[in-house]
Amino acid sequence: MGDAVKLSGAQVAPDAWIEGVESAEFKTLIDAKQRSIMPMIVIYMVGYMSLSILAGFGRGILGTKVLGAVNLGFVLIAGNYIMSWVLAVVYARISANRHDPLVKVVVDKAHATGGAR
Amino acid sequence: MNLITVAMFAGILLISLGITAWAARRTRTTVDFYAAGKGLTAAQNGFALAGDWCSAAAFLGFTGLTALYGMDGALYAVGPLVAFCTVLLLIAEPLRNTGTYTIGDVIMYRMRQPPALAAAIVGTIVINLAYLIPQMAGAGVLIKLLFGFRYDVSVMLVGLGMIVYVAAGGMLATSWVQIIKAVLMLGAGAVVLFLALAGVGFDPLVFFASAEAKAGPNFLLPGNLLKNPFDEVSLGLGYMLGLAGLPHVMTRFYTVPDATTARRSVIWVMFLAGAFFACTTIFGVAAVHYLGPEALRVGNPGGNLTLPLLAQYLGGGKDTVGGQLILGFVSAVAVATILAVVAGLTLATSGAVANDLYVNLFRKGKVEEHQQVVVARITAVLVGVVATLLGILAEGVNVAVLVILAICIAASANFPVLVLSLFWRRFNTGGVVGGMALGLISSVGLALIGPAYLGSNAIWPLVNPTVVALPLGILGAVLGSLLAGRDHEHEKRFGEVTFRIQTGVRSSRS
Repeated sequence: MGDAVKLSGAQVAPDAWIEGVESAEFKTLIDAKQRSIMPMIVIYMVGYMSLSILAGFGRGILGTKVLGAVNLGFVLIAGNYIMSWVLAVVYARISANRHDPLVKVVVDKAHATGGAR
Repeated sequence: MNLITVAMFAGILLISLGITAWAARRTRTTVDFYAAGKGLTAAQNGFALAGDWCSAAAFLGFTGLTALYGMDGALYAVGPLVAFCTVLLLIAEPLRNTGTYTIGDVIMYRMRQPPALAAAIVGTIVINLAYLIPQMAGAGVLIKLLFGFRYDVSVMLVGLGMIVYVAAGGMLATSWVQIIKAVLMLGAGAVVLFLALAGVGFDPLVFFASAEAKAGPNFLLPGNLLKNPFDEVSLGLGYMLGLAGLPHVMTRFYTVPDATTARRSVIWVMFLAGAFFACTTIFGVAAVHYLGPEALRVGNPGGNLTLPLLAQYLGGGKDTVGGQLILGFVSAVAVATILAVVAGLTLATSGAVANDLYVNLFRKGKVEEHQQVVVARITAVLVGVVATLLGILAEGVNVAVLVILAICIAASANFPVLVLSLFWRRFNTGGVVGGMALGLISSVGLALIGPAYLGSNAIWPLVNPTVVALPLGILGAVLGSLLAGRDHEHEKRFGEVTFRIQTGVRSSRS
């Protein structure tokens, strides 16, 4: 690697710390995170990009009147606000209730084995 | 000159300077200067994020765009909220766990090779300047309008204000200036919303029906502003991924003690800023309802004065005390907004120059702590002076292209590099350089030959080139990684990187 540079404030050793990474607890954490985060990413990306694509190529569809003068476009825009807020609350709850306890297990074990500070 | 505006703005300025004096005494180390001692709470950082992200372009711009162009304005307003989904799910916590002060820190932690850091520095500086110059120019126009000073004097006053905030008070002062500004802005928004809705018996549907009746049947359809369908897609892509590549917003996650607090601060900003963005859409259609489309087109370039005009009308009209009072309040908040946002940009740019370029790249981290703080402060002054000069030179130049450019580069160059650094094992220095180069060149090149810069002589049809530049940026990152060849030592270290991304625990066997 030649020109390895020390970061301000962070101690890094390239060969340190294989035990923590390969522990069963850490794999459980990664699996739990992927299972909850991946579907959320798909939901908001599909939800928002469909709105953007329809705004470009489905202008007539978005112009369909839904509620008085308000058309489908504005309803979908409102839907994107609600989607973002719901995802925010759901993610906050899942990570506090499920991910954070798993992180704590991994970190405690890391400290116990003396591999990190 | 509106005396009420002057008095209110003077009040905000005095409070901000008081905070700066208080923060200056508490800013002794680099952690204090760049990251407010990592001591902000989730709510404080959430308000500060709302302050950073609701620039004048959002505060005045979205309202104006909705009033002039209908649904396209509402599409401009919703994207910045959805953008925070990307930040929440992919970026905020990993960034807090791996970096120290800058985005360059994260890239350097992962790659540990100078060319990667150099690429990150270029990305940060180009994006920040592209964001800063239009803000400075906009501030010059607004202050000239409100106080009657000359344009160059106005820009210099803004420059002086931001240099004092940043150089003296660092991130602590910048954060609190943002927090106060966010509170005032949300307060102003709530007052205008209440008055606007009170006029129609709290039924916002009246605004839509009335706006459509007054501004024509096409008003509520998309495409009034962004004629080319691909521009709508670019807008969506740019917002969705660009925020996560904006250095001045991302460095905010270093001001909190841990990843959990970083996450909670994103939840705060999503509700604070999201509610505000939703209100700008209501304000836009309400302005058409109350003032009529013709009145909004007179002396209102880009629609930026729509919100002040609406506020004045709702306060009682041009010649009433109520109208003057609320107009003064909204205008003062608008100036405070610009000042706070340029301060945040100056600080993030100083971080890239002083911490990344000078300390980590030139001196390989071998700079004494107290010296680093001195270098950081001097850099802040220099960056401020350069931004002020560029702001003065930008008078009369079409700077709209720069706003689009900033978001486009952030999405096409910074975002792929940042995400792949965090999550792709095979990503390497070649990928960082390739992604940054292709993302940057395609964004800048296409924006400069497009209609935002060349007007009707444009060679390239899209205002916003993200829809092309983003795939090219990703392609550059992937090809660069593959062409650079495999480095098994580097890939083996990815486990350790992942461990730190997820837990914040650093390895320490050195």
